[in-house]
Amino acid sequence: MNAPAPDRPVLVAEGLTRRLPVDPPVTLVDRADLAIQPGCFTAIVGPSGCGKSSLLYLLGLIDRPTQGRLLFEGRDMTPLSGDERARIRLEHFGFVFQFHFLLPEFNALENVMLPIRRLGTLSSAEADARARTLLADVGLGEKVLKSPDKLSGGERQRVAIARALANDPALILGDEPTGNLDSTNSARVVDLFRTLAHEQGRAVVCVTHDTGIAEVADVRVTMLDGRVEEVRRQHGGQHG
Amino acid sequence: MIGRLLLLLHIASRHLLMRQRQTLVATSGVAVGVGFFLAVSALMVGSQADFVRQLIDVAPHIIISDELRSPAPQPGRRAFPDGAVVLHGYKVRNEVRGIKDWQAVMASAAAIPGAVVSPSLSGAVTLRLGGREEPLGVIGIDPALESRVSTISDKLRAGHLDDLERVQGGVIIGEELASRLGLNMGDIVGATAASGTTRSLRIVGLVKKGNSQLGSSNGYMLLREAQSLLGRPFIINRIGIKLSDPYTAQDVARTLEQRYGYKAESWQERSSDFLSLLVTRNIIMYTVVSAILLVASFGIYTAVSNSVADKRRDIAILRSMGFSEADLQIVFVVEGLALAVIGVLLGWLLGYALMSILGSLRFSIGGEDQSIPIDRSPRQYLIAAAASLLAGGVAAWLPARKSAKVDPVDILRGAM
Repeated sequence: MNAPAPDRPVLVAEGLTRRLPVDPPVTLVDRADLAIQPGCFTAIVGPSGCGKSSLLYLLGLIDRPTQGRLLFEGRDMTPLSGDERARIRLEHFGFVFQFHFLLPEFNALENVMLPIRRLGTLSSAEADARARTLLADVGLGEKVLKSPDKLSGGERQRVAIARALANDPALILGDEPTGNLDSTNSARVVDLFRTLAHEQGRAVVCVTHDTGIAEVADVRVTMLDGRVEEVRRQHGGQHG
Repeated sequence: MIGRLLLLLHIASRHLLMRQRQTLVATSGVAVGVGFFLAVSALMVGSQADFVRQLIDVAPHIIISDELRSPAPQPGRRAFPDGAVVLHGYKVRNEVRGIKDWQAVMASAAAIPGAVVSPSLSGAVTLRLGGREEPLGVIGIDPALESRVSTISDKLRAGHLDDLERVQGGVIIGEELASRLGLNMGDIVGATAASGTTRSLRIVGLVKKGNSQLGSSNGYMLLREAQSLLGRPFIINRIGIKLSDPYTAQDVARTLEQRYGYKAESWQERSSDFLSLLVTRNIIMYTVVSAILLVASFGIYTAVSNSVADKRRDIAILRSMGFSEADLQIVFVVEGLALAVIGVLLGWLLGYALMSILGSLRFSIGGEDQSIPIDRSPRQYLIAAAASLLAGGVAAWLPARKSAKVDPVDILRGAM
């Protein structure tokens, strides 16, 4: 429970709890306390059904806690309306899921441009250029105009990562991002995540079964039965 | 804001393009609805306008006659307007026939901008030819004025209204009456009025059959000659008025009647039975037609509803990306509206084609070649578009609301 605090944390969970209103009540996440640091690659691990994905959705403002608080850059997110939370996600959060969830009607470039266009701060030429740069950064500079069904599984996941980075988020949240990839592609994705954390100073949080990811993460959060059992810094605190 | 709408529009259009069959079915539903709405309403409105035009034009818009709707009030009643006066057993005085002070009535009617006024005198005479007698309602007219007030000149089978001026004792009678008496153009017939005056009349014109309003036993003469034949010089008993806007007839008639006391009958009053029939006809038409449009909107409902169901994953990922609930609802409402707009445009084309086909058909009515009257005014197009867009918008909005109920968590972690 001793979260390291060298920098000001991006995200702080205080007693975060999520219960399902069924009878008898099911507690998905039980009073989780956690601080997510910028420039730090955090892995959340634990057995299936321990609530790690539920915690991730709470952290990502996709789900609402039934108790507890969540502070993003010091600001309490719990009282915000759905639209305000959507705005925070748009500006500051990027998601990568086990499945790529690319929109099938749009090509790779258009998929990456969706959040940029929704934010609306860049002109369409700038948005186009930014999306191309992001795709080049994940090694897909040649395939920007391909539709998702013409890409391999690893390529789709990299498009999804580029899309998550579209609005230059402070926080990247991954839910089993390598769950559907072979070892080569997994390694690439993990490398990308580490780069995002260590070189670009973003906070990266990944829920994973993959012990490989858990090993290389800076911070390893272990969950059991909805509770955060252990928060451990690894590799002698090397990050940022 | 505009960028956001363009983006949502972009997403909606891609959805529609990917689902071409659904899009086709929904738009063709709207198109058929709009097309047939246009065809049916063009027929209904066209035939109604044609019918009303005939009602209006067959006779002057307002006819002032020398009748009173109720007898003049008794002096006792006039003296005590607020008193409890009850009179029993009095006889209504037989007023002298003819409009008193008709010059003043005509002058005030002619003062209405755009109005044309025509005085006439009608009375009964008996036509005698050999041993045969036929009653004839004689209407004495001023041909120049009457031809501007009514359409009798168009109804003549032979002759001309102006011939009344040129031929001494000229008369225009109905074709049927003429054939009953065996008369032809230029023939001479004797006419006897109730007063006993007898004149010889010459047939200068024949009115076509099938004009029930003119009647088969009416005839036209010059006003002067009719006055002399009927023994009522300088008297008229009917004033016909034609207005520039026929729809003001009712009000104008009421004003004139209040002022002069004589019965002033507007064309609406004359044809109130037909007009109430038209109201019923319109109600039936709009009921049927709105049912067509309603059914067309069901197609939109289904298309949008299916789209929402199929796109649950996309909804979830867009929500996680930071699209709001409203964004997603707009996407699906826009899809429905786009279907409606495309459907309306196609429906306009279909309706135009149907109208052209209907308008080109020829029918033989009473021996004359006639086409169906078609109303092609843009009003019908606008009504069809407005009704379809409204119905389509509602039909899209109902299922679009469901997109807000999609819980991203269920879908993102359930992963299909």
